[in-house]
Amino acid sequence: MAKIVAVVEDDPAIRANYADLLKKHGYQVSAFADRGSALAAFRSRLPDLALLDIGLAGEPDGGFALCRELRALSAALPIIFLTARDSDFDVISGLRMGADDYLTKDAGIPHLLARISALFRRADLLREPPLEEEILERGELSLDMKRFVASWKSKPVDLTLTEFWLVHCVARFPGHVKNREQLMKEAHIVVDDSTITSHVKRIRRKFQAVDPAFAAIDTVYGLGYRWNT
Amino acid sequence: MRFGLRAKVALVALVLAPIPWLGYRYVKDMEAVLREGQEQALVATARAVATALHDRPELADLRPGVAAGGEMERILKSLGRADLRIWIVDRQERLLAITGDLRKKAPEERPPADALEVFARWLRPVTELLLERPTEDFDDALPESQISGAGEVRAALQGMAGRRWRSSTDSRAVILSAAHPIWSGDEVLGAVVVEETTNAIRSLSDRTLEKVVAVTLLVFAIGALVLLAFASRLSLRLTRLRDEAEQAIDSQGRVKKLLAASSSGDELGDLSRSFSTALERLAQYNAYLEKLGGRLSHELRTPVTVVRSSLENLKMTPLPDEARVYTERAAEGLARLDAILTRMSEATRLEAVVREAERERFDAREVLRGCVAGYASIFPLVRFSLSLPESPVMLRGAPDLYAQMLDKLAANAADFSQRDEPVRIRLDEKGTLTVSNSGALLPAEMTGRLFESMVSVRPEGANEPHLGLGLYMVRLIAQFHGGEARAANREDASGVVMRVDCPVSS
Repeated sequence: MAKIVAVVEDDPAIRANYADLLKKHGYQVSAFADRGSALAAFRSRLPDLALLDIGLAGEPDGGFALCRELRALSAALPIIFLTARDSDFDVISGLRMGADDYLTKDAGIPHLLARISALFRRADLLREPPLEEEILERGELSLDMKRFVASWKSKPVDLTLTEFWLVHCVARFPGHVKNREQLMKEAHIVVDDSTITSHVKRIRRKFQAVDPAFAAIDTVYGLGYRWNT
Repeated sequence: MRFGLRAKVALVALVLAPIPWLGYRYVKDMEAVLREGQEQALVATARAVATALHDRPELADLRPGVAAGGEMERILKSLGRADLRIWIVDRQERLLAITGDLRKKAPEERPPADALEVFARWLRPVTELLLERPTEDFDDALPESQISGAGEVRAALQGMAGRRWRSSTDSRAVILSAAHPIWSGDEVLGAVVVEETTNAIRSLSDRTLEKVVAVTLLVFAIGALVLLAFASRLSLRLTRLRDEAEQAIDSQGRVKKLLAASSSGDELGDLSRSFSTALERLAQYNAYLEKLGGRLSHELRTPVTVVRSSLENLKMTPLPDEARVYTERAAEGLARLDAILTRMSEATRLEAVVREAERERFDAREVLRGCVAGYASIFPLVRFSLSLPESPVMLRGAPDLYAQMLDKLAANAADFSQRDEPVRIRLDEKGTLTVSNSGALLPAEMTGRLFESMVSVRPEGANEPHLGLGLYMVRLIAQFHGGEARAANREDASGVVMRVDCPVSS
């Protein structure tokens, strides 16, 4: 049975286009223009994944509220913010509301599809007991490549999908410097330099929350980042 | 020659200069009137003496060369007055009798009546230079020549009253004489001559002139002081306004701080207020320009997303080959639009980052080494040379922002670098970073504005979109590090030097 993707977006053209695109890729789509109708529909039946815009008709931060309400309905439901806003403040707020990832609208459909399928895979695997495991171990770091779960010194680190991909890109070949283009390619994002910098900063902070002595991600100025072992 | 406001106002004060001249004219007129009066009085005195002597038998007793005695002496004494000299001549113009003295006995000095007089007396050493003070020390001799042949005597002997002005023999005093005939019946027996100096009038007019000088000097001094104070205040206010207006806008045209509008109600207050308003508008406009990029990129994202998602939908639909060409072109255009939007939002995001970023101490040399090593792969066609000091250059700020700033400077230099000469990156111990490239020079009028948002001097028709945000970001980051960014042409006009001064953190 096709997965249901809910699209909440106030611009009718974008909403219809995304709905069509997702349908062409084999998903079942339910599209909503505002928070009220979306929430009413979610209460009767939860989608398998939700794509939310932050600014909804009449509510500049309607997407954040909707995300919080949706998270209250289901802890496991994958939620992706897809928005025109790209300030660090919005990214942090969105992720704090419990979203799994945050994409700006200029990301393009391939990047969006990569995330949607990855999140579905993770959701499926979390539901079933793992049959086979694909774990990447780098010293204290362990990355579960199937479920997109990272842990440091055996303690889980709560990374978004984008962050997970960034960590994976850097940590796969310790000691190698990964430049920004490589990072963007592997994390399926198209952003400017300073966004990469703030992503890395957030990742460091999340690891430091688990282990204050964490210093495994090195900045090589002008070149990129490197995993220290 | 440039005159300050104060000098001009002082020149205006010269209109006061005619005051002493007018005073002098007035005193001279007054003196003339007084002399006229003195003449009349003297003539009247002569007539009175002559009338008293009329038909007196004692007159016949008078002999030339013999002093008058008895009744005659009494009469003459009674008619005489202090500082008056009376003499009598007979028909042969021989001196018969003389009484009185032209010289004042004791020139009295009244105590000063008011403050002005005190001041006038205090100024006397100065006024002495201008005025000839009447003296009682003159030669009052009455030579024969003044008796016989003198006009007024001759007139009197012919039966008419006469008068005459003459100088004393030593010319130190002016003497006024009036003559009147002495009648005996229809016959003129002789003449009475009354003499007086003009010293009384002259000392009166001198005193008045003294006062005029004193008043003039006082008015001058007070007027000049008031005018000077007024002009100083005006020029002080204008200078302050000019300084404030100059400081309000820095060399890069940014409004640093607003002028505090003056609350005074005059024209200068108006000027200050309109300056303040104009600066405020300029600041608003600058702020609007700086936000424009972010706002535009945000507003454009939605329509761009519509176009992108539509194109992506089209790609998945079977299309004739002809149509595919157009969708590809549309996709190319979209990619360029995306690049523009990314640049614009990069600057806006940097503004936010700079506002909130935490500062740490770091060695700028390490950042430079890493960055310049990386440029070899990013700009394969351009060579870079790096020169660093021996000791660490510790700055206070964010190393990744510093790196970002260097990226922008390097990209800028690489784009403009034309000859084989490498782009020279140099850091000195004081934290001054220079990035110098050979190539096209900066237009003179743009050097100050280059670091503003949306200002670019790149030639038209470049492949990549340029919004003039790179150097604006350099400025933002330089300011974050407490520094300043400047652009200038090389001294030998072979290229351009970008210079960022960041203070070293101790």
